Amino acid sequence: MAAILEVTGLHKHFGGIHVTQDVNFSMEEGEQSAIIGPNGAGKSTFMNLLTGYYRCDAGKVVFEGQDITNRPPHWVARRGISRAFQISSIFSKMTVAENVRSAVHAQMRHSFSIFGVASRIGVEETGRVLSLCGLEGKRDLVAGELAQGDKKRLELAIALAGKPRLLFLDEPTAGMSIEEARSTMELVDRLNRELQLTVLFTEHDMGIVFNHARKLTLMHRGEIVVQGTPEEVRANEIAQKVYLGEHHP
Amino acid sequence: MKSAAPQRAANAPGRRFAVVLLALFLLVPLLPGEFWTVVGTEILILGLLAMSFNLLYGYMGQISFGHAAFFGLGAYATAMLFTALKSPDGSIGVPEFLLSLLVGPPVAAVGALIVGFFCVRLTGIYFAMLSLAFGELLFYIVFSWYSFTKGDDGIQGLLPPHYFQDPGNYYYLTLAIVVVALLVMWRITESPFGYIMRTLRDNQRRAAFLGINVRLHMLANFVIAGAFAGLAGALWGPFSRSVSPGLLGWQESGIAVFMTLIGGAGVFIGPIVGSVIYTMLQAVVKMYTVYWPLTIGTIILLIVLFVPGGVLGLVEKQIKARQGRLSDGGGARAGSDEE
Repeated sequence: MAAILEVTGLHKHFGGIHVTQDVNFSMEEGEQSAIIGPNGAGKSTFMNLLTGYYRCDAGKVVFEGQDITNRPPHWVARRGISRAFQISSIFSKMTVAENVRSAVHAQMRHSFSIFGVASRIGVEETGRVLSLCGLEGKRDLVAGELAQGDKKRLELAIALAGKPRLLFLDEPTAGMSIEEARSTMELVDRLNRELQLTVLFTEHDMGIVFNHARKLTLMHRGEIVVQGTPEEVRANEIAQKVYLGEHHP
Repeated sequence: MKSAAPQRAANAPGRRFAVVLLALFLLVPLLPGEFWTVVGTEILILGLLAMSFNLLYGYMGQISFGHAAFFGLGAYATAMLFTALKSPDGSIGVPEFLLSLLVGPPVAAVGALIVGFFCVRLTGIYFAMLSLAFGELLFYIVFSWYSFTKGDDGIQGLLPPHYFQDPGNYYYLTLAIVVVALLVMWRITESPFGYIMRTLRDNQRRAAFLGINVRLHMLANFVIAGAFAGLAGALWGPFSRSVSPGLLGWQESGIAVFMTLIGGAGVFIGPIVGSVIYTMLQAVVKMYTVYWPLTIGTIILLIVLFVPGGVLGLVEKQIKARQGRLSDGGGARAGSDEE
């Protein structure tokens, strides 16, 4: 299998604080892995660097053989990298269906179509994504008025509507009930298995991490401490000390 | 199946209202005297300006205090071509007249492209301030470039062809152009581009991560809004027989903001309803008192405080609340009240 993402020597500092230090990281196509680490370890920053939201101070990010370092977010998104945010980031005054439909339009390169009729374009794909995420019953509700768990599901739906090949999920189950979290992660597994979608997620719930990731990366103070299979990371002494100890007695 | 139905139901009252409004507009010249026909023309032209402003405010979520600059650019472009085309005795043929109207929108669009290039780099109050600064800059250029624009004398003698000198005929010409313009604007707001604008209003960062080039889309919308403002400006000169630098100024921009707030930014035809209220009120109040600014100031104050969605926003809320009651107790209905 070929590397879909290749990160070398990534550096980022805010003032005197190094939030990302010499990070080398790679993902293979079809992989599903997780980044773990204590709060402030640099997980979200790392995703922001990969998707062009922050500029890197040094290093290189290559996606599918193409250098995407310091490209703007919309450029990166168009190459096939999508992301869902930790705090759900949706279009709150639009309906659920309109949220997904506009994401579909963006993916279909229809965003500049000024005389097309929005409600007739990408209808099928919108319906597919909505039912995939279990939102078809809520399609006409205003997004800002959804319950927390549904907002997170819509967040995921918007990210999927872009038909990504690489998906970043920042704490996809935060704020969800146990049942919602389970069905969300089952969906992620299914997307990974059936559509060969490469997935990288961060998560604080170690039960979810060990059940759904086939590879783990532990970050601490902006650096990668340990990388490997869940078993290897679990057995690692540094990992025990830095992070797992407090979660897995 | 379920998808389109509720939306169509929600749109139906809006469509009925638009048809009734159009019917009323068609009847205005039948009123005795010319007064209301002239007021009606003003309502339509300034309403078009306010509608174009709302493409930025209601749909893209950015407020511009310099939008009248493009209204003025359109007015001056038309006035200059008009002056160049009219014969020495001051009369102008119908084709030349229509040609001079056509030049307004593209000139305004070019102006909007240049101003927008800078404005779309910012959002919120910074966008508003920069648009104001550019508006005043353009006002000042027109005001002081005497050899080209005739400065604060303005351009006079824009007497339309004989047929359109009749207020009723000019009114119907204006009505036809404004209706076509609004239909085009409606198509744009209901297009994929129109919905991308709403995503930019709600959450620019999210839109960027969907692959939307935020600035480029904002710029496109800025140019479209500028072109429609230019069309309104083109109609203004021959209507008032003259143009002056004040058309580009912040007070004129403020009128578009007022109208939009009064009518409701969240409803497509809100700004033109705002124009009906604003312009008629102005016409009536000025008959009795010189305290028009005080009057409109008080009204805006009350609207902002008590009816933040504007008049149509209030109406829409009532309709939705009633629909919510009618469609029995079929589960919790979000979106029926509360902004």
